[in-house]
Amino acid sequence: MWAETIVKVLKENDIRSISFLPDTVIGKILNYAVKDGSFELITLAREEEGVGIVTGEYLGGRRGVLMMQSAGLGNSVNALASLAIPYQIPFLLLISQRGELGEFNACHVTMGKALRGILDALGIQHFTLRREDEVEITMRGAIKTAYTSEQPVAVILSSELVGWKDEK
Amino acid sequence: MINRLEATQYLMRHLTNEPVIASCGNPKYDLFSAEDRKENFYMWNSMGMASSTGLGLALARPDKKVIILDGDGAILMNLNSLTTAASKSPPNLIHIIWDNRSYQITGGQATHTAGKANLAQIARGAGFEKVLTLDTLEAFKQALPKVLSEPGPWVVVAITDNCGAPGRPPKSPTYIKHRFMEALGSRR
Repeated sequence: MWAETIVKVLKENDIRSISFLPDTVIGKILNYAVKDGSFELITLAREEEGVGIVTGEYLGGRRGVLMMQSAGLGNSVNALASLAIPYQIPFLLLISQRGELGEFNACHVTMGKALRGILDALGIQHFTLRREDEVEITMRGAIKTAYTSEQPVAVILSSELVGWKDEK
Repeated sequence: MINRLEATQYLMRHLTNEPVIASCGNPKYDLFSAEDRKENFYMWNSMGMASSTGLGLALARPDKKVIILDGDGAILMNLNSLTTAASKSPPNLIHIIWDNRSYQITGGQATHTAGKANLAQIARGAGFEKVLTLDTLEAFKQALPKVLSEPGPWVVVAITDNCGAPGRPPKSPTYIKHRFMEALGSRR
């Protein structure tokens, strides 16, 4: 299953910590990460601080991944633009997308639509996971490209893959 | 009130190879003017991120004491980072906030610490137990050995004046990064 595969690829690529602001999709990944037991979990209060934290970890020689919902990218733009990108700090930015297929909440749609445009404007490479069979290769490749290019690279989890959130 | 450059110079005389993360704005100018060294990480923008970057480094490198030189304006922009740092509580983290109660670099406009905000109380409320407010250079000098030797995390709010430092650090972000990582032995 995609969440388990993601955790497996993170571990295989020596990612040692997960900085996250949870949503229900990221929660599924975290469950596997907790079960695995080899990651330091860092709960964020706001996504932007996660850019600083993974930067500090990288400077110290440790690889961290940053996980957030699409809403959180809006909170992170200046730190990406003025810290991670100019200082050439590589990390995987794993984004759980709201606002596309099956969205029930109108207030997630605008950021959902803007997501790839913002990443493009920042020059951040991004890849979208839509099918189970592309999770492993895309995750593996995105991590490799991030550390080769010394830049953050984003992987977007679409609702085609993870299902959409129903109103409760 | 503390002269920030003098306090930074005093601090640097007591360090050997500890990494120092200096916020954008004046903390990086004071740090460079006091002592330029490989273990200095100068932030040219990303206001507020010094606290988070220092936390990430402290978590990744428990073998090093990590010193953050922050400003009141910068930490006010990333107050939530105090709650994250206190929750993780790395004992090797020393967060010094130079509080001149103003946005000095943009002309001295008042920050909220000139009004009702109290950073030490905010840090305590975030969960830090070792929090000091120091308002003279003598008090800073007296407190420093304890801050540098006893396990933290520490938050030190140092009330400073608005004097500037003459030096300007290197401007290339990648030069700063590579030099810093080499000094920490963290390049792969």
